[in-house]
Amino acid sequence: MEMKQIYVLAALLLSFVARISSLSITVNDVECVYEYVFYEGDAISGNFVVVDHDIFWGSDHPGIDFTVSSPGGNVVHNIKGTSGDKFELKAPRSGMYKFCFHNPFSTPETVSFYIHVGHIPNEHDVAKDEHLDPINVKIAELREALESVTAEQKYLRARDNRHRHTNESTRKRVIGYTVGEYILLAAVSSLQVLYIRRLFSKSVSYNRV
Amino acid sequence: MITMKLPPFFAILLCTSPFWGNAPVTEAIWLNLPPSGTKCVSEELHNNVVVLADYVVVSDDHSSAPTISVKVSSPYGNNLHHKENATHGQFAFTTQEAGNYLACFWADAHSPSKADVSVNLDWKTGIAAKDWETVARKEKIEGVELELKKLEGAVEAIHENLLYLKSRESEMRIVSEKTNSRVAWFSIMSLGVCISVSVLQLWHLKRFFQKKKLI
Repeated sequence: MEMKQIYVLAALLLSFVARISSLSITVNDVECVYEYVFYEGDAISGNFVVVDHDIFWGSDHPGIDFTVSSPGGNVVHNIKGTSGDKFELKAPRSGMYKFCFHNPFSTPETVSFYIHVGHIPNEHDVAKDEHLDPINVKIAELREALESVTAEQKYLRARDNRHRHTNESTRKRVIGYTVGEYILLAAVSSLQVLYIRRLFSKSVSYNRV
Repeated sequence: MITMKLPPFFAILLCTSPFWGNAPVTEAIWLNLPPSGTKCVSEELHNNVVVLADYVVVSDDHSSAPTISVKVSSPYGNNLHHKENATHGQFAFTTQEAGNYLACFWADAHSPSKADVSVNLDWKTGIAAKDWETVARKEKIEGVELELKKLEGAVEAIHENLLYLKSRESEMRIVSEKTNSRVAWFSIMSLGVCISVSVLQLWHLKRFFQKKKLI
């Protein structure tokens, strides 16, 4: 079959899949991202952080739900009610995997996520007449290790972003609410004075107070 | 339920690079665009980062060729890439300003198919966007040496990221400490404002009543 030949050709040339950057997506209700896993047994790893949240009163957001579905449709991984987490799983089969974020509340949330599918070459990848060079395996393992460090850094960066948002929000709130409080205080006290003056004014009957 | 029937050989043909040994296949995410509505992905980047992106529309049946429109904008609103009625394309730019870069996709209004359009987006920034083929050709290295050079590049990128995180943390620490001192200052000042406003009130009313000869 023609597809099989292309598969073999690709298998000869492929040994490792590279990374993508961490992207952010705004989740209104459900947002799904798909990723294709080429080999069964590949390690799917990643992380996600809810970055932008402007909850007015509550200090901790109930969080969003995250599910990973295999190509067959069953849920492989499930995280509920979190504001950010890492995940790692082994792909039971190859195919298109679905990564879904579900926001149970009406306020849209921005989620910064990173998904990586890593593959270490093994004997099944190479054709029958080729042999697997152990150095390729070692290089792939090294790359995977560096990849996990990079993934951790992306997670830290996303968390740092979230912290920065909170800080900026706090700063704005402190200034805004304090200035508002002063103005309100001055306005209320001058209203009080005006009212008392009106009570004692001559136009109203002076015996009535 | 959204069904994604992706012809795998198409994806592999797109991604395979003709290199011996460990050829990195560019992996990408797939987005599902509803017939109406925009899907946007964004990334926060700092200054002087190379961004390289590829997008392809994949349709289940080859009879209808759905088209999409793409718009990429910088944090200050500049339009970096805009294409209508496209089935594939790519864009590359170097960031001039730090901020949130947004790439938006939407299915064209007069697109033939009524189902969701699936788009493959391959978004690479920084070290992942580096053109290793020219490096290999220029320095005449290949195979294991090239792979090790890539690993070296990855380690340098990790180091850079770490330094960047450090500088961001110190910026944030400054903002935090400033906010902390501001909270203390403003609270004490609000007490002062309260006292001074009430003193002014009493003084004003006393003068008023003295003028009215009530006291």
